[in-house]
Formats: sequence, structure tokens, C-alpha cells
Amino acid sequence: MNSPPDSDKVLDIRNLRVSFSSIAGATRAVNGVSLNVRSGEIVGLVGESGCGKSVTIRSIVGLVPSPPALFEDGEIWLRTRRGMTETLSLYKNMKALRQIRGRDVSMIFQEPMRSVHPMMTIGQQITEGILEHEVVDPAEAYDRTVEMLDLVGLPNPPAQMNRYAHELSGGMRQRALIALALVCHPQLLLADEPTTALDVTIQAQILELIRDLRERMSMSVLLITHNMGVVANLADRISVMYLGRIMETGTVEEIFKEPAHPYTQGLLASMPSLFSQPKTHLQSLRGVVPELAMAPKGCVFADRCPHVMPICDETPPVVELRADHSAACWLYDDVEASQGPDAVTARPPHGSDSTLGDSSQRVEVIPLTKTEPTADADQKKLADSDTDLLQIENVALHYPILRGLLRRQVGTVRAVDGVDLSIRRGETLGLVGESGCGKTSVGRLVTRLVEPSAGRIHFGADGRLEEITHIPQKEMKGVRRSMGMVFQDPLSSLNARMNIRNIVGEPLMLHGMARGSAVDERVGELLEMVGLRAAHQSRFPHAFSGGQRQRIAIARALATEPSFLVADEPVSALDVSVQAQILNLLLTLQQQLNLSMLFIAHDIAVVRHVSDRIAVMYLGKIVELGNARDICVRPVHPYTEALLASIPLPIPGLATLQEMPKGDLPDPANPPTGCRFHTRCPYSQPICEQEEPPLVPFADAVDHFGACHFQDELHLQGVEEIGEIHGPAAAAGGEE
Amino acid sequence: MRTYILQRFIQMIIVMVVVMLVSFIIVELPPGDFLTTLREQLSEQNVDPKVIDSTVEMYRARYGLGENWFFRFGKWAWSLMKGDMGYSMQHNRPASELMGERLSLTIWISIATLAFMFVVAVPIGMLSAIKQYSAWDHSFTFLALLGVSVPSFITALVFLLLSVTLLGATTVAGLFSPEYVTAEWSWAKFLDMLKHVWIILFIVGLGDTASTIRVMRARMLDTLGEPYIDTARMKGLSGAKIYFRHALRVAINPIISSIGLRFPQIISGSTIVAIVLTLPLIGPLLLDALLGEDVYLACSILVVLTLALVVGNFLADLALAWLDPRIRFES
Ligand SMILES: Nc1ncnc2c1ncn2[C@@H]1O[C@H](COP(=O)(O)OP(=O)(O)OP(=O)(O)O)[C@@H](O)[C@H]1O
Ligand code: SF4
Ligand code: SF4
Ligand SMILES: [Mg+2]
Repeated sequence: MNSPPDSDKVLDIRNLRVSFSSIAGATRAVNGVSLNVRSGEIVGLVGESGCGKSVTIRSIVGLVPSPPALFEDGEIWLRTRRGMTETLSLYKNMKALRQIRGRDVSMIFQEPMRSVHPMMTIGQQITEGILEHEVVDPAEAYDRTVEMLDLVGLPNPPAQMNRYAHELSGGMRQRALIALALVCHPQLLLADEPTTALDVTIQAQILELIRDLRERMSMSVLLITHNMGVVANLADRISVMYLGRIMETGTVEEIFKEPAHPYTQGLLASMPSLFSQPKTHLQSLRGVVPELAMAPKGCVFADRCPHVMPICDETPPVVELRADHSAACWLYDDVEASQGPDAVTARPPHGSDSTLGDSSQRVEVIPLTKTEPTADADQKKLADSDTDLLQIENVALHYPILRGLLRRQVGTVRAVDGVDLSIRRGETLGLVGESGCGKTSVGRLVTRLVEPSAGRIHFGADGRLEEITHIPQKEMKGVRRSMGMVFQDPLSSLNARMNIRNIVGEPLMLHGMARGSAVDERVGELLEMVGLRAAHQSRFPHAFSGGQRQRIAIARALATEPSFLVADEPVSALDVSVQAQILNLLLTLQQQLNLSMLFIAHDIAVVRHVSDRIAVMYLGKIVELGNARDICVRPVHPYTEALLASIPLPIPGLATLQEMPKGDLPDPANPPTGCRFHTRCPYSQPICEQEEPPLVPFADAVDHFGACHFQDELHLQGVEEIGEIHGPAAAAGGEE
Repeated sequence: MRTYILQRFIQMIIVMVVVMLVSFIIVELPPGDFLTTLREQLSEQNVDPKVIDSTVEMYRARYGLGENWFFRFGKWAWSLMKGDMGYSMQHNRPASELMGERLSLTIWISIATLAFMFVVAVPIGMLSAIKQYSAWDHSFTFLALLGVSVPSFITALVFLLLSVTLLGATTVAGLFSPEYVTAEWSWAKFLDMLKHVWIILFIVGLGDTASTIRVMRARMLDTLGEPYIDTARMKGLSGAKIYFRHALRVAINPIISSIGLRFPQIISGSTIVAIVLTLPLIGPLLLDALLGEDVYLACSILVVLTLALVVGNFLADLALAWLDPRIRFES
């Protein structure tokens, strides 16, 4: 037993079991996890929400509160300056544990916005760590901190020393936290979703920084994430975790080329990537992650597994497929047998969108139409309905910044600053950009939830476009019948005190479209349309999972049979597998109901997957507009190129763009002169600072516009449609 | 920082002016000329007519009666600022004489109560949060609940009862032992007061202390759950450093900002206790003045109390700004 592992390993977790006791009984959040990290390696730990990733990583350093946690079994060996140390046994010896923290192993967390102390300067916080572990005089600690801040790429380090958290952006805070974590040169960095809360371009910068520092400081990294793309480009090895167990472990190449475990396969297929076939169904895993207490006995994945067999009632063995590649699945029990290789390439059967649902609630999801929308059908549809449903001309939304006792106006945030867009009948227009660039404001403007500061909005539900820019609320109510809205956070957008019947039926009653039992009937229809059960009308939102709530929100948005749907980040708050289900649902509904849609998201891969055309927005302006494929294959604006490059691609070893956009999004109240992107643009020329480039057609392409002075000269790098050629990755992305 | 202080300062002045205006309007509101009332009252008391004339004349001049209201307000406000609080009809004495000692005693007792509350509640609340669900936590949660729900006059009565029946005390009420009540201030009198005052602090401050314990515990628990505390833990800091250096300064914020608001509570709380225990505080006098429609006295007391309150609030804001950089850099 208690023998230290070989010296190559920096971290070795053996058979860890952690359970949480509560009034309802004990649940085992981590159930026999074994995992190791070798010298200089980056290991990714991937899985959906609630699978026990954080508990595992926090157990290493004793950050899981106990009680309620109970460490039932296992060993955690960590290489420290005193040799291999078992840290679970150190829990009773806080002093020894404290000496390890920050010195031998450090950690960065998911929410950089809240992980920096709000009332201490950055300098104080970092030097405090040095002084805790080393006998140095304050001046030296100061110098080392400045050096470290420089190393993590914060501009003007001495000035940062005296700044407070609220003066730094999210990306800068995460850099400061990395500096704090690494200032004592630990051998292992634990990173718990370090980029999840950040914008895509900032995420790319931080990942690059971690990769770079690993080399420079020769350390190892254990990285938690739910995004397969993030680990593909960063990790050397990957462990996939599900409901407290490791499902599969392997090198990044093996996991992506030959994912063995059905869960890994499902995760990969759920991700809309820049290579997937646009507007087709993603192969999502059925159902949702069940509550821990409701996990199936035996293989915990059994209730969602497309290959489930009778033997799966028993706990599957961990099978060594190759050196460095193992999976916990009965499919591979007998690898030597000829069935092995077959199974390795086995994929979930096509169209497995129907689900058993969350077993804890027994809410079943009814299968949707069997026919999948195809790109072809779509082209046809576009051709015969070339009329616009919505047009906005030069629309602006300005928010005054008020200060002081008298609420004097000291500035203006130009959230939307002169935007022209049109959406055709039956078309999906994707709107993409970083947070704070004005996407949501556009969505609120077209539905007249806010009054535009300038410009005109035309909308026509029944063919004729009519101006709705300033019509009174009463008339607007009539127009809104033809508009539906879905928002990001499915919980807060549903009134927790209303039951589903009233939530979904409210628009019907509001518009006098149904009353009494007619509402019940229609709500029932709507629920079935979005894949829920009509019988669940009397339940309340908290009885549903995040994905189910988003389905309810969609049902509500569609209650009045609108011809136009605004979906504002409808999937960003959801787990990968559920995200795929909702995207599939939106695609199906759009085709069934011939909906026009404004689809807003920050992830260009998601937008590309559902949109016909894409508008790229930066600081209140549209910088590029065109056909979804064209934009991704041959972007004309450097910002679009940057967005594409920032998406971590689920193809290991595929180098993305070298030129990353620098820095953060500038203050929208004070946008840069000339081209607003010039402060971050790698191709910026002197003229860019002076003249604002207009949105003009690109070369001779119809329907492709860009707002860059040099769009006709630059040859920007898009994402080539290599999907079909590079077999496995494409298969992982979307099958056809 | 400077603009912030300036802003708060201007706010303070505005509040003061508004309160004085309102008080002034109340003073002026009752029908009938104040001078006639005064004249009638004085003659009812068989005062020498000459004295009546000169007294009335003195007030006419002092308050500018007969001039326009703006002028009169100015005069009234000015005399208030000079410490002339007007004349109490009921007691037939200048209001400032009546308030004198009571006012300073009230302010000192309030400050002492606040200090008592801080010194007792903050450590208890903090420890309860750190040792959540321990015996210590459970017992103080229970006691705090008790303290919040029992009104202070009941505590005072119970205390009276206990000390009379159990200790056989004859003089429990009052701030001083009988021999010192009318004596000049001296070291001995001060010491005598200290012997009595802690009981008052306890009775007046109990409710506030209890609620502060609860607030402090809740805030500390919230703060300890913040991600930046995890960051601090991961530096390898000891518990004490985490609790005092990182958590306390954040958790204590709302308690400091509520100091200004606690002040009126303490004064009203102490009024009830002062009535039960017959203490020479300002509260009973105010009550008295209000019941007796003694407008000058009542308004003067109100103005002075408001001043104390507003200044207290201002000081709390300064303390907050000093503690919290987010406030300091705002605007
Ligand atoms: N302090 C705690 N008390 C009780 N249960 C807990 C506690 N911390 C975690 N759990 C439970 O342990 C399980 C695993 O949680 P964990 O945070 O490790 O998941 P995760 O994989 O990190 O998820 P996410 O991706 O959402 O961060 C969850 O069911 C969670 O509710
Ligand atoms: S063990 Fe069975 S249920 Fe589990 S993943 Fe393998 S085939 Fe599916
Ligand atoms: S106009 Fe200049 S700064 Fe703007 S995107 Fe084009 S090259 Fe870059
Ligand atoms: Mg987590």
C-alpha cells in the first residue's frame, strides 16, 4: 500500500473516494478516481458540470470543506520539496499542508473576477505569498513580484502593484492570479476552469500564457475544463470524468483520433466545431447528467449510453487499450478478441437525439421529427423567400453615464452605434462578438425592449414591412405577437413562482389568443413540440434541469406562433451535451415553423452552426457581414480572423493563428478613433487611427461586406473546410 | 477620495438645513402668536408685568418676530448654532439649560453602547462563522435570537426586579448613587457612574449587539465562501491571517456603514430604558416636551439629535472610504 510512486510523477491520485453527507444521506461525488501527472506535462480533466472535477482537484490541497466532505479512501501523492508526500494524511497537520500550498502546488480558479481580494492591492496580495514561504526582505519580494507580473504579460508592472481588483479586467485579473500562483515556483499548477468566465479572445491569450509558462518555469499543469477544444490544443494527456469516475484516459492524440468510451465519443460529437456541417443536427448525448444519488448502478453512464448491454449493470473494468490509453467500459472487456478494434471506432447510432430524460424527474423528452434539416433544403427555401422580415437602418443605442450627486451626464456608452442589418424570411442571422460589444442591445432594439437613440426599424410579419421605430406600446404589443425571445439564463428568465402552464401560456392570455382549457391544450402542444411532456404543465421551473428550462423558455417564445425569434446566447449557460440538444431543437423548429431568427452568441463556432449569414460586431459596429461559410473560410476583417483563431479546435496539434489580438476590449464609452479595432489589430497602419473604414462590399463578392481599410489587400486566415478530409475530427464534429 | 468626502459633506449640510426648516415650520405652525401665548402664560403665573414686558420684548428681538419668515428662520437658525435652544414654556427655563447635561450624557452613552456592541458582537459573530455549527455557534445563535426578540424595556424591568428581589438593592435605578446625583462632577462621581453605566450599556445595547452578531456571522460566512478566500488559502496562509487580514475587512463593511443608522435606534431604545430606570437622558425630556406641546424644546432636541446622527453617518462614511478602495475610487 502506502508506497510512494516512481519519481517521474508529480502527482499521483490513487483510487480517491470522497462523499458528502447531508440530511438526505451521503452521496459519493468522487468514486475511485485514479489520475497522475508527470513532470512537465499538461493533463486535462474533462467532463460535464457536477461530475466531481472540482472536488477531485481541491482534494489535492485540502480545499474541500470537511464536514460535509468525507474522504473515504485513496491516496494523493504529491512531489514536494521534501520528496513525495501523501496529502490526504496531512489534513490533520494544517501546518505541513500550508507549507505545500503556494510553494509546491498552486491553484487558479474559475472566476477571476471574484478571486482577487477586492480591498488589497495586487502587489500586497502577491508579496504576501512570497513572505509566507521564504525569508526575504520586503524589497526583494517587491522586485520578484514586479518581475512575475511582467512574466505573465501585464503591461507596466510597477503600476499594477498598487492597483485594486476593480481596476483590472477579467483577463488581467486572471494574469495577476497566475502570477500570484507561480511566484514561488511550484512544480504543479492546478487550474480549475481558468478561462470559462472569459471572452474567447482572452481565453486564447490565457491558454497561450499557460502553455508558455509551463515551458519557462518547467512545471506541470492539471487543467480542468468542460471544453474539449481547450484541452485539444493544450494538454498532453486527457482524463474524461463522469459522475465521479474516470471514464477514459489517454494521450490527446488517441482520445481525439480514437475515442474509445461512448461518453467521450458523445462529448466530441456534441460540440459544434468550425468543421461541422452547418445547419445539421449534432449528435448529442441523450438526456442529461443525472443527480449523483440517481446515478445508475454499475456503469454510471448506462442510462445515456447508446451501446448499453445487460452486463453494464455491473461496474465495468478499466481496460488498458494501449500503453497510455484506458477506458472503463464493458465494450473492451476482451480487447484481444476481434471485437476490440471494431468497438474502438464504434459510434453512437445516428439520430440519437431522443432521450430518456433525467431519471430523477422522469421527465421524458419526446423524439422530434425524424427528418433532419439539410443544407440543401435550406438553400431552396432561401431562394423562394427572398423578402426581408426585418430591416434596421443606422440604428443606435446610447446610454448616458451619470455621475455624482446631481446625476450629471459625464459621457455616453455607444452600445450600438449605427447598425444596418436585415433578416430575410426563414433566415437565421447570427450575431457574434465579445461580451460588451453590443450584441444583446441589438436584440433588445429590434424587439423594442429599449428605445433606439437613432435610426429606423422596419418589421413585417405578413409580408409588408412597416416602420415600428416609434410606434406606441399599445401597437407594439400587437407586433410583439410575431416576435419571440429566448435568453441566456434559463432559470432567471422564468418566474420561479409560476407553474409551467402559466409561464408558457402567459403570452397567449396576454394577447387574448386563448382562455381557460384552450390554454392548457395549446401549452400541451407547445411542450411536446419542444420535447417535453404535456403532462408537466403544473410543475414549477425548479423541477427542471437547465436544458429543460431552456426548452420551456423556447416553448413560451413560440406560444403566439411568431414568425421571428430572437435567441440571445440561448446555449452559453448549458453543458455541452445539452447545448447540442437545444441547438438541434432550434434547428428543427426553425425549419418546421419557417422561423426567421436572430441568433446571438459569443462563440463563432456555435453561430456558424445554426446561421445562414453572420454579422460580426465590435464595439457597437458591424465589422463584417456575409454568408456563414464564407465568413469562416475567408474572413475579410481582422477581428473575424481573431475570433476564428480564438476558438479552440478539437484537433490536437492543429496550430491556430499565430497573431492573437492584443489586450482587452477597449472601454465602449471611449472607443478608439478611426477603426475601432486598431488598438488590437495586428495589421494596423497609420491611416487606421484616423479614418473610420465604412462597411463596404468585399471585392466582387455579393453579400459579403467588411469594414477594414485593407480588406482587399489582406489575405486573412480562415478555417479551411478540412472536415471531410481529416476523418476522425470531422466525424467527431458532425457526421454526414 | 476628495470628491467623495466633499459629496458626503454637502449631503450632510443639506440634510441639516432640511431638518431645521421642518423644525422651524413646526415651531411656527401652531395658531396664535407665540408672544401672546407667552404673555398669557407669564401673567397666569402672576409675574411682574414689567418683567413680562421685558421678556416679551427680548423674544421679539431675538427671534425677529414680526419680520418675514425667511429672516426669522435665519435668526432662529443662528441662535441655535450659538447654542441658544430657545425657551421651554413648560419648564419655564431656557431649553439649553434643560438639555445641558442630559444631552452630553446621552451622546456619551450612545457612543459607549456602540463601542460595547462592536467589541462584543464582532468577535462573537466572527468566531460563530469560523466555527459554524459548533457548540459555541449554536449557543450564541440562540442567545442572539433571544436578544433580538426581547424588547429592551423588558430586559430593564427584569433587571430591576432581579436586583431588588435577589440582591436586596434599594437603588438600582439612575446613573449615580444617591449621594452623587446632585454633586459636582468629580473623579469620584465619574467612578460612581462607571459602576452604573455598564448595566445601562448592557440593557440598551443588548438588542443591537444581538442583531450585530447575526449580521456579522452571516457576512463572515458569505465572505469565507468567496473565491478570493480560496486564493488566500492557496497561498498557504494561516487561519488567523485569512480571517483577520482577508475576511474581516470585507465582512465588517456593512456593520460600519450601519453605524449611522444604529444611532437613532440606540437613542429611542435608551429612551424607553431611561424611563424605566429613571435615567437623566435626553429621550424622556423629548417625550415630555412632545406630550406637553413644548415646541421650542422639542424642536431644539430634534435638531441636535439630527446633527449628532448626521455627523455620525458622515464619520461612518469616512471610515468606509478609508477601508474600501472601491468606494475611495468611485467618481
Ligand atoms: N461542499 C459541498 N457540499 C456538498 N456537496 C458538494 C460540495 N461540493 C461539491 N459537492 C457536490 O459534489 C459533486 C461534484 O461537484 P464538483 O464541483 O466537483 O463538480 P464539477 O465537475 O467541478 O462541476 P462544474 O463543472 O460545474 O464545476 C456535485 O454533485 C456537488 O453538488
Ligand atoms: S459499460 Fe456499458 S453502459 Fe457503460 S459505457 Fe460501456 S457500453 Fe455503455
Ligand atoms: S482598418 Fe486597419 S486597424 Fe481596422 S481592421 Fe483594418 S487593418 Fe485593422
Ligand atoms: Mg467545478
